[in-house]
Amino acid sequence: MKPASVKLAAAWAFVGIPLLWGLIQTVINALALFR
Amino acid sequence: MALLSFLDRQNTVAEPGFNRWLVPPAALCVHLCIGQAYAFSVFNLPMTKLLGLTAATPDDWKLTDLGWIFSIAIVFLGLSAAFTGTWQDRVGPRKAMFASALCFAGGFFISAVGVKLHALWIIYLGYGVLGGCGLGIGYISPVKTLIMWFPDRPGMATGMAIMGFGGGAFIASSLSVWLMQRFATPGDIGVAPTFLVMGVIYLCFMMVGAAIVRVSPPGWAPDGYVAPAQAKKLVTTENVHVDEALKTPQFYLLWVMLCFNVTAGIGVLGQASAMIQEMFQGRITPLAAAGFVGLLSLFNMAGRFVWASTSDFIGRKATYATFFALGVLLYAAVPSVGQAGSIALFVAFYGVILSMYGGGFATIPAYLRDVFGTRYVGAIHGRLLTAWSVAGVLGPVLVNYLREYQINHGVALKDSYTITMYIMAGLLVIGFVCNMLMQQVNARHHLSLQEARA
Repeated sequence: MKPASVKLAAAWAFVGIPLLWGLIQTVINALALFR
Repeated sequence: MALLSFLDRQNTVAEPGFNRWLVPPAALCVHLCIGQAYAFSVFNLPMTKLLGLTAATPDDWKLTDLGWIFSIAIVFLGLSAAFTGTWQDRVGPRKAMFASALCFAGGFFISAVGVKLHALWIIYLGYGVLGGCGLGIGYISPVKTLIMWFPDRPGMATGMAIMGFGGGAFIASSLSVWLMQRFATPGDIGVAPTFLVMGVIYLCFMMVGAAIVRVSPPGWAPDGYVAPAQAKKLVTTENVHVDEALKTPQFYLLWVMLCFNVTAGIGVLGQASAMIQEMFQGRITPLAAAGFVGLLSLFNMAGRFVWASTSDFIGRKATYATFFALGVLLYAAVPSVGQAGSIALFVAFYGVILSMYGGGFATIPAYLRDVFGTRYVGAIHGRLLTAWSVAGVLGPVLVNYLREYQINHGVALKDSYTITMYIMAGLLVIGFVCNMLMQQVNARHHLSLQEARA
């Protein structure tokens, strides 16, 4: 991989991972609505 | 001195070969942090028991007093966005993001002191005033930069950043609860250390955004993109100065549209948990209601990206027309759905309503660019956000007070939101009319050739 691609992947992972974690937590809580 | 020069606009101009897709993560670094504001309510209940620990004592803070922290923050969001927009256009996104990080994190640090000393006014000043300024500066800081990098897809670009504001609430609510549990001791509920740690995390995260953001070189355009030579429909090729924009009817039409769209959504969002439990009594538990709120937040976040991206294809006017027309129908139908006892339809209707609430926020920067041009879009967007401050007060007041009035006059709990829903639908009708009245800005407001070159 080129350094530019690594930089791009790292930047998106930096914001994407916390966002994904928050989303998963929210979906888990939201599932209670359908139980 | 080296730091100050690092923040200067001329040092943020992208080098040749820079990938524009690095700019949205920079914007998200800021928006994911300041989106915490939507989740501040997770601190409210713990802060009513700072002295009593297990139950509130008479000296503990009341929920109504704590509610003002968020309201003050939203008011200062609007004010700081309005007053710093021109400055931000001048100094560029890096310095603005840096200032936003200092204010927002500083708000947490000061609030930690307020919790430790049990002085609510310190939290009003800390999170409310200073943190609120961080919110406003941070909210508009990447908007113009994104529009310049994505002239071909301005709605999608700003939608991506503003989606982060919705997503930040998910991260913050889970993170806040987790941190409070870690720091709680038999003698302390853990709010102050949580504020300190969150301040540090947000400071670092936002600084990364400030470090990686770049402005496009003058005259840059994406490969294969040709800027339209002539204005078409609402999309101008000219620029309107921020002060001149305030003299146009278009600015006020957009202000009313944003204000009423937000009023309708924010009122529902704030009362969603109580509303679903009261409309479907005995069928919805508090836990399921919390799930409903989470689901609405998901729609709110997704709507920011989906609607703003859609607006690049169907146009901003058509997008807003959809928000208002569909919104009227859905708000008017909600009471009937509640009476019919259909939870699935109720959730679906509110999901769409909240997606349009988020979509309204995310589409407005591109709408402003279409109408007023790119040059002062950041500053104009800042001034327009005062509509959010007004709606932040108007929405909850309408929902809460009308509900109380109805109940006091003998209306059953499950029917106490009916009038409010019809009023919200009425506000959206006004918004629809304003949108229909939108036309191109009169040429006398455009920058002259001489001003444009300056």
